[in-house]
Amino acid sequence: SIKSKTFILLYMITTSTSDVDMAEIDHFMPLLMQHEEEGLLCPVLSHGSVHFMWIKHSNLYLVATTNKNANASLVYSFLYKLVEIVKIQSYTEPPQIRPMSILEEESIQDNFVVVYELLDELMDFGFPQTTDSKILQEYITQEGTKLEVAKSKVPTTVTNAVSWRSEGIKYKKNEVFIDVIESINVLVNANGSVMSSDIVGSIKLKTMLSGMPELRLGLNDRVLFALTGRDKGKTVVMEDVKFHQCVRLSRFESDRTISFIPPDGESELMSYRINTHVKPLIWIESVIEKFSHSRVEIMVKAKGQFKKQSVANNVEVRVPVPSDADSPKFKTSTGNAKYVPEKNLVVWTIKSFPGGKEFLMRAHFGLPSVEKDELEGKPPITVKFEIPYFTVSGIQVRYMKIIEKSGYQALPWVRYITQSGDYQLRTNV
Amino acid sequence: MPYLGGEDTVRELRRALSNPNVQSDQLRYRNTILKVIRAMSQGVDVSGLFSDMVKACATVDIVQKKLVYVFLCSYAALNPELSLLVINTLRKDCQDPNPMVRSLALRNMTNLRLPSLMEYVEQPLTAGLRDRAACVRRVAVLGWAKLHNLQPNSEIDAAVVNELYSLLRDPDPVVMVNCLRALEEILKEEGGIAINKPITHHLLNRLSDVWGQCEVLRILQRYRPQSEDELFDILSLLDASLVSPHPQVMAATLSLFLSLCSGLPAVSLAALERVRGPLLAACGSVSRELRFTALCHIQLLLRSLPGLMGAHYKRFFCGYAEPAYIKQRKMQVLVELVNDDNVTMLLDELKGYCTDVNTDTAQAAISAIGRIGRSYSDRCLEILTGLLALKQEHITSAVVQTMRDLVWVCPQCSDTVCLALEGCEETLQDSQGRQALLWLLGVYGEQVSSAPYTLEVFIDGVRSEVSLGVKMELLTTTMRLFLCRPAETQDMLGRLLHYCIEEEPDMCVRDQALLYYRLLHCGIEETQKVLQGRRSDPSLGVLIGRPSEPISQWACSFNTLEPLRQGTVETDSTSRGSPEHVTFEPKPNTDLSDTLNFSLTLLLFLGDEKMEEDYMCLEEQIQFPAIPHCSPQSLQAAMQLVNIQTLAFTPPHTLPWRVYLYTHTQHAGDSPHITLILGELLYTGEANQRAVLKKALKGFLSILTTVLHTLSSERK
Repeated sequence: SIKSKTFILLYMITTSTSDVDMAEIDHFMPLLMQHEEEGLLCPVLSHGSVHFMWIKHSNLYLVATTNKNANASLVYSFLYKLVEIVKIQSYTEPPQIRPMSILEEESIQDNFVVVYELLDELMDFGFPQTTDSKILQEYITQEGTKLEVAKSKVPTTVTNAVSWRSEGIKYKKNEVFIDVIESINVLVNANGSVMSSDIVGSIKLKTMLSGMPELRLGLNDRVLFALTGRDKGKTVVMEDVKFHQCVRLSRFESDRTISFIPPDGESELMSYRINTHVKPLIWIESVIEKFSHSRVEIMVKAKGQFKKQSVANNVEVRVPVPSDADSPKFKTSTGNAKYVPEKNLVVWTIKSFPGGKEFLMRAHFGLPSVEKDELEGKPPITVKFEIPYFTVSGIQVRYMKIIEKSGYQALPWVRYITQSGDYQLRTNV
Repeated sequence: MPYLGGEDTVRELRRALSNPNVQSDQLRYRNTILKVIRAMSQGVDVSGLFSDMVKACATVDIVQKKLVYVFLCSYAALNPELSLLVINTLRKDCQDPNPMVRSLALRNMTNLRLPSLMEYVEQPLTAGLRDRAACVRRVAVLGWAKLHNLQPNSEIDAAVVNELYSLLRDPDPVVMVNCLRALEEILKEEGGIAINKPITHHLLNRLSDVWGQCEVLRILQRYRPQSEDELFDILSLLDASLVSPHPQVMAATLSLFLSLCSGLPAVSLAALERVRGPLLAACGSVSRELRFTALCHIQLLLRSLPGLMGAHYKRFFCGYAEPAYIKQRKMQVLVELVNDDNVTMLLDELKGYCTDVNTDTAQAAISAIGRIGRSYSDRCLEILTGLLALKQEHITSAVVQTMRDLVWVCPQCSDTVCLALEGCEETLQDSQGRQALLWLLGVYGEQVSSAPYTLEVFIDGVRSEVSLGVKMELLTTTMRLFLCRPAETQDMLGRLLHYCIEEEPDMCVRDQALLYYRLLHCGIEETQKVLQGRRSDPSLGVLIGRPSEPISQWACSFNTLEPLRQGTVETDSTSRGSPEHVTFEPKPNTDLSDTLNFSLTLLLFLGDEKMEEDYMCLEEQIQFPAIPHCSPQSLQAAMQLVNIQTLAFTPPHTLPWRVYLYTHTQHAGDSPHITLILGELLYTGEANQRAVLKKALKGFLSILTTVLHTLSSERK
């Protein structure tokens, strides 16, 4: 059908565009399906001398074709960057056009002009060009804007020294919102030992400041030591620390100050990953007993292993059940349990979960007397939660100094939040 | 594919486009053009609207311009004459005060890809190189590359090349990188841009955005520093990007590092240690493709530094929802990382994967346990035996095959394996699994009490047997069992031989049966000599803890597609040591057949005679001067330097000492063919001489030919 043929074609050929025929892409879908059937699916598929490197995003395949022995991580990073940019850009569209917060086939069709424009700016002759979304925004002529505006607008960043910020930004009230967000990834095996755990953190800014402000962010020492890898004895080692391009890295290397001219609006100032043994904040003990041909009994105990003063919000414990289970019955000491048959899950929701507390959920399912033949996997229990005013790593913003030559006063607001990332506990059944 | 109502759509659109009322209302005009583009992106053939769209090009509305250009670039090749009409508008736009309009016009002028327009394009492009706005210069620089690509034979003005060289010093980083790209394209014939010391240092000091950085690092691989001091200056400049959080920059830097330090193995090894952190981080990336890429590259690194990731084995545990291709790579890595400290944890984890819903993943997990079994046989056999109790078809098949492979290398496992085999014939369905079972029954028949009964079931069903391999294996097994348990087997052997000789339609099976029949006439001793060969080959000490390879072995394929596309050829071929198996049974294991298919492509293409001819003349060319006595290790090390790998060798101090060797040619240019060359080296001892025995080579070669034939026929 036409629909399944909507592809974004990208030409990632390192030296020349003409080397790969446009028609080559027609081989992609059959190839993909054939490999999928044989269980040999792989992110690189080849047809003759042409390689397809693809990613899947919701119901879209983004494919890069090349006949060179290309730099694989570059191609995949670019494809993901593309998804990210198309999402952000379309989000700024006027309301009558569906925002592309989810990139999918329909949203591409609704926004195809923006997508064409973006592709044009992102890549020329198969080479990545500008991928900074703030700069791109200025190149993109927006659908709904008036003709005059579209014509006379000259991108200010084109010749600018500070490429990520335009000049002449004005706000009535000057404010910066700082969000410190940490996600916990945990994998616990069936007998209750933590196989791996890490923290992925990010500091996000929402800048509403006039002019060209100069910002300085102070973090607590413990974290700074970890960032620079000094004092290895006491502190956790951070790996994979990324700063937004606006941060003066040389300054950070020399005296550990994070100083920068911020991009306007929302941006991620830095991200980090700490590979350390974290106590799972919400601990789950489960007993799942399966009596073939008759029933499944599930008992789940959830315990908040964090400070009593903190509260986890919107906790969701997702417990897998066999796909042929029926007639659910639940009993919970708090919160609500719900059966989601299309996902073969029981979702136990607890709106507010104070630290140190323990809750219980029991579930009972019937099983048909005729058993299914096919083997079922052992999906893990997953947990979702959010704990405000708290970070696992102990990272803290000490100060945020804002200096602008006009001398206005600006207020920084800081929020901390810890949330679940990939949080899995394996079960025995 | 015809689009329903496509013609109507086009007709309607043409009417709207040529309607003066629409043309005078800019918003309506633009919306109509929008509809054209929408139809185009849905697959409707709107090429017929070309002339109407050309007219729409002359507008002040930049949105409309963009839309029309998208259309024109898609259909220009079909309408070269009409495209000429656009050129004027485009050239006028190149003079526009708005840099955005200028760059847009310039870019689309070069994107039309029409040789006939070249003469009109050159002048605006030259002007574009000197434009005030960086965004115009970016486009102009690449424009020259496109122009050259369109007509590769035409001479590009030397003045332009010089101008491009000077633009390498442009303040805008993207212009600089685009210059590099353009010069690479234009000077392709001469081997790309000339990289000298000033350019190198200039580029290194201006590493800017992520994409450009990768480009610069790749091109710099051609540069050779003039002195050691300079080399170390460059290395210290690169140090920061070696631990870059962007995997593509890290990989490009390491690649450059390795090429610069090819003469300094110690420095290269230190660099590998440096990238451990970033690589591990990439293994935890949100994007599964990047995770996969990182895993494949870690496999390369492990070839030279087996201990690199030992402490981090938990990072390679599989998540439930990970795709099979990642799980299988992770298991390959885990097998490499096993040591006394982590073996318990690691096997526990692998055991969990054996019951994965995806059968390929489950089988890969089982064979991974088998690989570890070569060093930790007791623990692994316990797990494997336990898996048989599940009575799952694909699991049992994989376990039996894994056990067979294990027994061949570690014959001390045979007692446990024989005990475990009882009763698993009921679960086995696929031919590979049954072949493995038959082989084990034949070789260890006296230890499996129920062996004759199992065989009887097979023989009773031989009429309906479809697999050639199973039938041939069945013949051999029955013969072998007859030799050690004649009383129980005689009758069924007779029946089997009778069926195979009288009724079997396949010539191979019939011939084999006839051979055995005649062999039996020669007497039992003769038969024994032929059939009871080695039941295992512990002397063919398969390299378990592989010696670390020199980095140069894989450095050239680092940061390319190669590690993603091929499984680890070397790992697999070393693990598949026994010629006995491969003669009879093409392994079902997918990565093996892929491997052979991949590395032996040329052999398959050539056919027998050509191959042997090639091989023989190759052999004649090899000179064997008397080599002074040296240890196997040093010999091996020396071979590795010239890219000759050891497949397997007998333990040192046994005579004659044998080594099986292989090597393959590198990619030459664009040719995808890889030739695999195999050889056996025989060292007889006394006289300090080495000789390649023609006979042995031929034998070795014929074994491989058999495998290849069977494989290729199975593939069809």
